[in-house]
Amino acid sequence: MSRAELVGLLISVISFGTLLYLAALGELIAEKSGVLNLGVEGTMAMGGVTGFLIGVQSGSAWFALLIAALVGAVFASIHGIVSVVMGADQVVSGLALTILGLGLSAFLGKDYVSSAPGAKFNAINLGPLSDLGVVGETLFSMNGVSWLAIALGIATWFMLSRTRMGLSLRAVGESAATADAAGTPVVLTRMIAVAIGGAMAGMSGGYLTLVLAPGWNEGTTAGRGWIAVALVIFGAWKPGRVLFGALLFGGLIALEPRLQTLGLDVSPILMSMVPYLLTIAVLIVLSIRSRNRPSVAPAAIGLAFRREER
Amino acid sequence: MRLVRRETPLKGGQVRAFAAGVVIALVLGAILLVSTGHNPAEVYAKMLDASLGSPRGWSATLTRAVPLGLAGLAVAVAGSMGLWNIGAEGQLIAGAIGAAWVARFGGDWNGFVLITAMLLGAVVGGALIALGPALARARLGVNEIITTLMLNEVAIRVVRYLVNGPWKDPEGNNFPVAPELPPQSALPGFFERANIGVLIAAAVIGAVGFYSARSAWGYELKIAGSSAKAAEYVGISLKAKILTVLVLSGAIAGLAGGIELTGSSTRLVEGVGGGFGFAGIIVAALALMRPSGVAAVAVAFGAVQIGGGAIQTLGVPASIAGILQALILFGALGAAVLTNYRVVVK
Repeated sequence: MSRAELVGLLISVISFGTLLYLAALGELIAEKSGVLNLGVEGTMAMGGVTGFLIGVQSGSAWFALLIAALVGAVFASIHGIVSVVMGADQVVSGLALTILGLGLSAFLGKDYVSSAPGAKFNAINLGPLSDLGVVGETLFSMNGVSWLAIALGIATWFMLSRTRMGLSLRAVGESAATADAAGTPVVLTRMIAVAIGGAMAGMSGGYLTLVLAPGWNEGTTAGRGWIAVALVIFGAWKPGRVLFGALLFGGLIALEPRLQTLGLDVSPILMSMVPYLLTIAVLIVLSIRSRNRPSVAPAAIGLAFRREER
Repeated sequence: MRLVRRETPLKGGQVRAFAAGVVIALVLGAILLVSTGHNPAEVYAKMLDASLGSPRGWSATLTRAVPLGLAGLAVAVAGSMGLWNIGAEGQLIAGAIGAAWVARFGGDWNGFVLITAMLLGAVVGGALIALGPALARARLGVNEIITTLMLNEVAIRVVRYLVNGPWKDPEGNNFPVAPELPPQSALPGFFERANIGVLIAAAVIGAVGFYSARSAWGYELKIAGSSAKAAEYVGISLKAKILTVLVLSGAIAGLAGGIELTGSSTRLVEGVGGGFGFAGIIVAALALMRPSGVAAVAVAFGAVQIGGGAIQTLGVPASIAGILQALILFGALGAAVLTNYRVVVK
């Protein structure tokens, strides 16, 4: 592999890692508050279509990404209202959100399928640092969104483990009734967590259509939202481990088109199954381990909360 | 204004909630259509006419209701025990692969033998892909929601691999499709465009519905679903129940894939799943996991999908069908709150 090819591979790993990490981090926040959101795939599609449309209209990539995040937050709030406020089943509501998002994005983006991208991000110039060989060249090519994703990861870790807000959020996700008795507003906390999660999924979708594969096409999310759901489990609900998982799964996706040039006789289609199979394997290992010690999953995940029923 | 829980849920509440969901979806859909420059009255009239306005329309609607109803039944069987089979999409694909495998490697059989063998292959395919999550849940307590969900994506890629690789039709002009199935594998016609898959699906839904309502097995299932402790107390083996229910669920979804392949397709293609497995989850949820309700909701969703396909001539994207289905569910979920709660204004 030549030096240019290596840099290309590393950039691709980081790009796919950014895409997956943004969405997975959002799902992690929602799940930590006790809400499983299977609407990530649909929310990504909504963020993708709006991000692309606003990019074409406004010419500003950052503005487009912001709108994609806002649309993601509003869209995921449908799931919040139905499952958190009304107490409907989280699995059904989340899946319906995905079906709605895939349909609505296809409907809204119909006239933009062959449009040329209107906005792009520039790499952040690290000055002399970019002379540091392959690593420097790779980091030099990273655009602001990847840096933003890392910052959001650190912020999420800090919020969850070091702040009062994070404590409340985790308490709501472990035992809503206990948190309620302690005066934490359960419904509001979960709604905010779902909206933030949706914003990140929307941003991830915008990143997809603005940066990774500039353009809009029905089905452009191609199951990446489900990988984000898988990553939260793979990373055992920890922002750091999820980042590792995102780079690993992102690396696998980045390798798919390069298998032949690397001389590996593996079907890229078969390799694209690996993240899902790995997640099942991790789930099994976690289940076996949790027989002797407490489970790593938030205890109240999937459970609706109604005060009079506690 | 606040919500107060009713002492007994409103009678016939789910039917009303479903009707309310349809109305809410139609209103929201109309807003979307108006804002994109379409005439909702014209669009809805065309959808209704194409799906339920003629025997031909009915035949298309019922044909579409087959995979929706069987996938819905698969989810409902698991759901009646409190298990979530989110993998109906993957099981449906596995069923289609199983049926295609039988056709590919089977003998030079006549139509009846070939179709029977293909549908059996479909049942086995669906059951096999569900076996893993079933064993993991029964033996190790691994959450079946995530494992079945992940296997959807695996099944999608297996069929993609097959039609792009080992099973690719050498005479397919390089399209990712398997070779055409032998002509005698096509399900015989029933009426107009419908084939006897409609009768098979109706029989399976009726039989499973009857058996789970009347047999000891079905009764034990309900007990196990409402309280694991109570079930163990009366000597019901939870592990065996989980295993059989999830595998049965997969087999039913697999059958849907087999009927799709032999009834509505001439060859195995990448998109064989058609999203029916995911829609089936919504069907089952709207039917409150009851087989009788599954059949009714499946026909309604079949009509929405066939209607959605027909309005493309008016310049409206077919994706309106998916939008309406999801909105019906959200509307019904919202309306269902009112079957359990009263609004008190003070």
